[in-house]
Amino acid sequence: MKYILLMSGTRAGVEAYHASPKQDINAHMAVLHRINQDLAESGEFVATQRLTEPKEAKVVRGEKNGLPVTDGIFPESKEFLLGYWIVDVPNAERAYAIAGRISAASVNMPIEVRQFATYEAKSR
Amino acid sequence: MKYILMMNTMKSGHGVPSWPKKDLQAHIAFMIGLNKELHERGELVSAEGLSFPDQAKLVCAGKDGRPITDGVFPESKEFLAGFWIIDVDSPQRAYEIAAKASAAPGPGGVPLNMPIEVRQVMSGPPPDML
Repeated sequence: MKYILLMSGTRAGVEAYHASPKQDINAHMAVLHRINQDLAESGEFVATQRLTEPKEAKVVRGEKNGLPVTDGIFPESKEFLLGYWIVDVPNAERAYAIAGRISAASVNMPIEVRQFATYEAKSR
Repeated sequence: MKYILMMNTMKSGHGVPSWPKKDLQAHIAFMIGLNKELHERGELVSAEGLSFPDQAKLVCAGKDGRPITDGVFPESKEFLAGFWIIDVDSPQRAYEIAAKASAAPGPGGVPLNMPIEVRQVMSGPPPDML
């Protein structure tokens, strides 16, 4: 069963993180790196990605003529996706345990856990 | 350059949409066609749909490190319905693809013109953080 673990935060939260001491950021990164290694070793790792800063995010809508309309203005309260992990695990409890470990490494930030839809509405 | 296109369109408690079956089929056919086109152009990295928000959980570590799960979300929260990761030459191309996905057909075949959040995917942490 594939799950995605989503880490989100506001623009203000991201700026506060970048203002924290470099050694704290390094220690945080080291723990996340260790978690990735453990998941790779247990065969549960599928993918992980970090996204660029919320200030570079755009929202796009299709116009009637099909041309893209881009906008970069978001409400201050908006939570942006900062990064995610995709894991392949035997049950939901295991996905929650991994999310708990990521949360503990990241000032107990809440991690949203969602299962992948199982229907094959895609082509690779 | 890799980008993620996110459909952040659903609200709390949302289940399978109650559209007429033929409209749902047309929507899914459009998505399959879009993924096929991106795949043929060599731009598709991955595309996934997520289960509905009524099954989402929020997990925090407790003091003892054990996971604490919660399924209660603010009503205003936007949920990720699905995403594409694409590998394209420019942000403009990412916006073009997002606009195409935005205009996916909804009930009665009318384009949804839903907002798609576009974010560049980092290739990895900065080297001095490793």
